[in-house]
Amino acid sequence: MNRTSLRRIGESPSLLTFFALLLGFLIGAVVIIATTAPVLNAWRQLFSSPTAVLHALNVTFDNVGAAYRALFVGSIGNPSSFAHSLATGQSWTATLTPLSETLTYATPLVIASMGVALAFQTGIFNIGANGQAILGGIGGAWIGSMMHAPMIIHLPLTLLAGVAGGVLGGLIPGILKSFAGAHEVIVTLMLNYVIAFFLVYVVQSTPLQQPGQANDISRTLDHSALLLPLFGAGSGLRVSYGVFVAAGVVAFGWWFLNRSTLGFAFRVTGANPNAARAAGFNPKRIIILVFMISGGLAGLAGVVQLASTNYFIDGGFLIGSAGIGFTAITVSLLGRNKPAGIVWGSLLFAALGVGGRTMQARTGIPLDLALIIQSIVVLFVASPVLVKEIFRLRAKAQTVQLATKGWSQ
Amino acid sequence: MTTTPVNGRGRVIAVLMMALGLLVAMAFGFGSAGNAHSVFTFAPVNISGDRPWHLGDLTVLTRWWNVVLGLLIIALGVETWVRRPKAALARFGGAAIFFLVALLFWASRSPGPSQVPFVNVTSVLTGSSAIAMVLIFGSLSGVLCERAGVVNIAIEGQFIGGAFFGSVIASTTNNFILAALGGAVFGALLGWLLAFLAIRYLADQVIIGVVLVTTMSSLTSYLNLQVLTPYPNLNIGNTVATLPIPLLDKIPLIGPVLFNETGFFYLAILLVAVVSFALFRTRWGLRVRAVGEHPKAAESVGINVARTRYRNVIMGGAVAGVGGVAFMATQGQFQPDYTSGLGYVALAALIFGRWTPSGAVVASVLFGLSAYLANGLQSYSVPISSEFIGMFPYLVTIAVVAGLIGRVRPPAADGIPYQRS
Repeated sequence: MNRTSLRRIGESPSLLTFFALLLGFLIGAVVIIATTAPVLNAWRQLFSSPTAVLHALNVTFDNVGAAYRALFVGSIGNPSSFAHSLATGQSWTATLTPLSETLTYATPLVIASMGVALAFQTGIFNIGANGQAILGGIGGAWIGSMMHAPMIIHLPLTLLAGVAGGVLGGLIPGILKSFAGAHEVIVTLMLNYVIAFFLVYVVQSTPLQQPGQANDISRTLDHSALLLPLFGAGSGLRVSYGVFVAAGVVAFGWWFLNRSTLGFAFRVTGANPNAARAAGFNPKRIIILVFMISGGLAGLAGVVQLASTNYFIDGGFLIGSAGIGFTAITVSLLGRNKPAGIVWGSLLFAALGVGGRTMQARTGIPLDLALIIQSIVVLFVASPVLVKEIFRLRAKAQTVQLATKGWSQ
Repeated sequence: MTTTPVNGRGRVIAVLMMALGLLVAMAFGFGSAGNAHSVFTFAPVNISGDRPWHLGDLTVLTRWWNVVLGLLIIALGVETWVRRPKAALARFGGAAIFFLVALLFWASRSPGPSQVPFVNVTSVLTGSSAIAMVLIFGSLSGVLCERAGVVNIAIEGQFIGGAFFGSVIASTTNNFILAALGGAVFGALLGWLLAFLAIRYLADQVIIGVVLVTTMSSLTSYLNLQVLTPYPNLNIGNTVATLPIPLLDKIPLIGPVLFNETGFFYLAILLVAVVSFALFRTRWGLRVRAVGEHPKAAESVGINVARTRYRNVIMGGAVAGVGGVAFMATQGQFQPDYTSGLGYVALAALIFGRWTPSGAVVASVLFGLSAYLANGLQSYSVPISSEFIGMFPYLVTIAVVAGLIGRVRPPAADGIPYQRS
């Protein structure tokens, strides 16, 4: 069976990604046009006067432009306020808040995506980043709120507890796949739900539930277990020391894939398992190891999210880390499972998510548009041959490049 | 999937069942006071009017009945251990049902902690049959797609899309037949998209499926805010009326559960029969299964693999779309994240049911019951968390694909794009 990973799609991957993004934003524009009342009304009066076409086009560009401008301003910043801050040296907080928010959202996303990408490179589809991140959060909340120690001990232990939670979550599908032949997609998909139920149970029960609370809410992390804001709590910017953790993970991922023996074994297994077996790599061991690393990174993403943004687990954390888990899959597809691609992909999707809030506040167009654009971009990234046909790119002979195997493999 | 030696892992299930039986006997049996009673009532809450027969309440001594149920489960486990039957999966299903009954006895015992000192069996069954019906639509969709060799992980997306458009159509026309047709068309469209990308462009079916789900859930959530909120008369949340079958609906217990249902319920049953017959008794079904097992061989005898797959995935999408409408027609108003992962439970039911229509029904009933109880148990203030009941379908599915409980074998070419060589 052809088990080639998704690494080598098309001749010019970045061009294909660019076209996929273009298509995503175009379809997003179509969705806006089709659902926004003023735009539709303008087109309805198309034949009322000779200039109606121009008017309709004008309204369309105004609405779509306003939405996409809000996306940009909300996630990167307003050029004019940059100029203002540079000139006067004032109101830097307001100017930099969008960038800070984008970095805050991108931080756990980079970490989780690196984990998913490592699995993809080995020919394994880890849909369970979601659940593994939740387990990481539970582990981190446990050590971060129940233990008390100075930060130099407490913070590393909290992060390690998160990694341990994720490793545990990865071990289950890893062991079941290598010793029982259970398909990892089914197992991780189902485990996500099991773990989500477990999370609800944990935050309703002693000892992790916030004492004196009847709601689904956990204890709050000690101050010594937090990834504090990078520019101090008074700066008003949420971006935290977690960015260094994310940078470390990216560096680790690059080194691991390109320079380490184990990483080489992973990539060989992903490219051709028979060759890997012939070269003396033990596939069972590799499957378990890749799940431990992939799950550990997802767990780290969960605990970073907890220690830098949420500080305690509640319904919002469940939704937030569910977002991380599934978005991480799309990010690593977008970034073609390469460290640099993942950094860009995470920044882009974080920017879409953050900018979406500003768009919703300013233009009334729901935040979900950003998610629609994300999904459509990935749909195109996953079907490179289609993009080539749309843009009349020179298509090579069609080759199957799959990330997953059929159920019976 | 590796072949599982029956002696090895087959016995895991036997041990599991014996442990479960022991738990029932000790915790639910001897764990309840000697004088505690459990009351099961059967009077339907949704039918007014006269019934020729009336079932009285069933009052039992909680302790001894649960001990008996526990012993029954242990006996099933012992029998599985000794005889190693092929149908170990079915025995596990039986044990699970005994377990749930024992749990209900125990949860509703009085004197006990429960605020509601009885269990209305009829409403438990009607409540869980509403969920089971949706699961049947979803897992039948999976059967149609995966038997032809295309993994349909997008059932959840077809559910939520069908539910959305079903709600809009039902609200504007108040006609649930039109709503079902609309849902079918929309689901078929999504099925076509999946097939188009998977067959023509050889895209990864699992990835496409996952992304289709996120596309649909974000699109419907977007449309809900952007269109349904300003125009609430597009989403009034009317539910479909039941169509009682004369005479049969008067049968106690069975009548209200099976013969006083919505048209969607009867349609689901009909579809199970039709798909089951077509898949295993007709030439069409033989061809579909050939395409799903060995497309190269099928092609060599003149079967058009791509066309067969397109047709099946589109049909599967339509069935799942109707399932979404059925969910909406029994639950009411559309909301974001409406089907809340039910499509993945349907996928689990498909796997637990070994990719057969009849197996999917059994799995759907079992999972529907556990999904209903996970919600319903909260009113009994049970000391065990309803979350653990909620986990049940997913845990069972993991155990099944790992070969811990019986064996399942998916179609051999399931999920693999076919290229002519």
